[in-house]
Amino acid sequence: MENKLHKVIPIQPVPYSRSRQAGESQTVLDHIVNDFPDNPAAMQYFYDLFQKVYCLGEDVPHEGLLVGTTCIQAPEELIYAFGATPMRLCNGSYHYDQRGGDFMPAKSCSLVKATLGMLSSDNIIPKIGKPDLIVNPTTCDQKKKSSAMIEGLGYAVFDLEFPNTKESEASREYWQRSVREFAVRLRELTGRKLTRKNLKDAIRKISRAQVAFRKLHNFRRISPSLILGKDAFLVTNAYFFDNIERWTEAVEKLNEELAQRELDGFKAVQSKAPRVLFTGSPPIFPNLKLPLLIEESGGVVVADETCSSNRMLYDMTAVDEWRVNDMVDSLADKYLKPCSCPIFTRNEDRRRRLLDLVKEFKADGVVYQAFAGCQVYEMEYRSVAEEFNRAGIPMLYIETDYSPDDKGQMSTRIEAFLESLKNKKKRQA
Amino acid sequence: MNYFAGIDVGSTAIKVAVVDEAGQLAGVHVTSSGSLFHKNSIAALQALLSQLGLQREDVRYLIATGYGRKLFKEADESISEITANAIGAFETGKAYGGVRTIINIGGQDSKAIQIDDTGNVVNFAMNDKCAAGTGRFLDVAARNLELDLEELGDCHFRGTCAPLKINSTCTVFAESEIIGLLANGHGKSEIIAGIHYSIAVRTARLAKRVGLEDRVYFDGGPALNKGLVAALQDELQRELVVPAFPQTTTAFGAAILARNEFLVEVCDAAS
Repeated sequence: MENKLHKVIPIQPVPYSRSRQAGESQTVLDHIVNDFPDNPAAMQYFYDLFQKVYCLGEDVPHEGLLVGTTCIQAPEELIYAFGATPMRLCNGSYHYDQRGGDFMPAKSCSLVKATLGMLSSDNIIPKIGKPDLIVNPTTCDQKKKSSAMIEGLGYAVFDLEFPNTKESEASREYWQRSVREFAVRLRELTGRKLTRKNLKDAIRKISRAQVAFRKLHNFRRISPSLILGKDAFLVTNAYFFDNIERWTEAVEKLNEELAQRELDGFKAVQSKAPRVLFTGSPPIFPNLKLPLLIEESGGVVVADETCSSNRMLYDMTAVDEWRVNDMVDSLADKYLKPCSCPIFTRNEDRRRRLLDLVKEFKADGVVYQAFAGCQVYEMEYRSVAEEFNRAGIPMLYIETDYSPDDKGQMSTRIEAFLESLKNKKKRQA
Repeated sequence: MNYFAGIDVGSTAIKVAVVDEAGQLAGVHVTSSGSLFHKNSIAALQALLSQLGLQREDVRYLIATGYGRKLFKEADESISEITANAIGAFETGKAYGGVRTIINIGGQDSKAIQIDDTGNVVNFAMNDKCAAGTGRFLDVAARNLELDLEELGDCHFRGTCAPLKINSTCTVFAESEIIGLLANGHGKSEIIAGIHYSIAVRTARLAKRVGLEDRVYFDGGPALNKGLVAALQDELQRELVVPAFPQTTTAFGAAILARNEFLVEVCDAAS
């Protein structure tokens, strides 16, 4: 309707490739691909994948029903066993983080805000389609409270009840019961039965992926490094949404190339480059701000203890008897016992694991990222710092979020930290 | 004779220092950063050189530091201001019996640095991304109170009442709080003392995070402000070592490092 005084201007749909989400992803991906020398040829698979999914907004295919997960505590084996596809929804986009600000208090975790922001958008990226169910483990408070909000956005949500401690037998039984209830919900959702064969196949499928990951992980012990941490993070980030068999194959190819690099005596970094262990709040594409700053400044991330990478893929299922009930309980144990997430009342396991990683990967120092508002990581900083202090291992603690505006200050801190690690090395030599 | 320069391209001021082969300070120069960091940096370096009667070629090695270090492409090397500050304070501090803790307040950040007995950084802490408790905070406050930055220090001691409490930690909110205090008829001196204490409290917290060794060195532009020094001493309950040129410690550190790096290279080439 038009008259002389005013007219209504209809919204012009913005093609995905020109949207802000795409712009943000493209900038980071271009940086990862173009600004570092000697990318492994096998990384091209992952670069192309992120280009297609995050920068061009192509559909991400899946088989059967789609089950979104909001945390690594959701047993993906069960989802596969019911013929559905799991997809991890934890999001790393600043654009969605700002959008998600509508749902949460000002100082809350960027990751949870970004996930909510993504789910509230009509233009969900990665373009996975609408999940038939979202499983939300009741781990940290912010994830817990996001459950009802996600439901309010029109999604079916299953609260997977998770205990606060992992030492007690009561917790273990409680968690095993939760996992069984999850299986019941999946049975109702898919109309399928959980069979011994399906579950065994699902466990094997994930184990194969984990074996490939562990090989990659082990290559990173070699000094000077064969591969940069920014590539390793991209590989594990792809696990969130990529077809698991294709992903495993691509990682195996990368491993072959790294084996060749080792034979050739290839160095991806200078031999004096400080080796950094990364821990704390998880880097998720496109928010690879901190790992990228470390490597731009001449350091190299050689290992991590985060739930977007090592913690997600390292620990494997140990099955005693290949019967359905035993397998389900073993799965439950896998997701509880080795977990070093700071949501637990006590967390000696995390400190022990960090010390082991420093030793095994010959790390010169540790960078601890805490997303502003991620209370559990912020609170655990103290005990981790004390432990490292006792062991004489330097650590840099950085509180940040998804916004790029603190890059200048971050880079000063990171450079100073790397300079001090270099000086320490020089003196020891 | 060979000379070596350090240039500290800060968010608010550009500081240049030149040292000779023996590591003795030949001269310093400070100008405002303005908006053209690169152009102003070159001008600042040139100004100091002509003041000292030196040519650009006399400077054999130049290290850039500070927030804008990457913009100064003429430098032989760049280094973070934390490392440069540590070196500068370590060298300057020798005259005071050696320092192990450094507190620096700059234009948009504040830091506490712990160094070992050879001047290497052991640990440091920096304010998070907001400019609360930094030089910028003083800038805003001085503008509200219609005072020059130089007057803040003297004004601090003129008050007859206890310092007022400034509760906001955010520079922008503190500005409205100051306006509120003025509207309630409070005196400038009490407000200024309150501002100094508010910065001192935040800085002390930062310093405690890295741990305080017995002799504490305080530098950066705001260390020129005697009122702030007094407030920080009161808050930390200890004397502070404030150098004669607090603003140029970091540039001096970069110059010292330039000299050391150059001499190492010469030695390497000789052997």
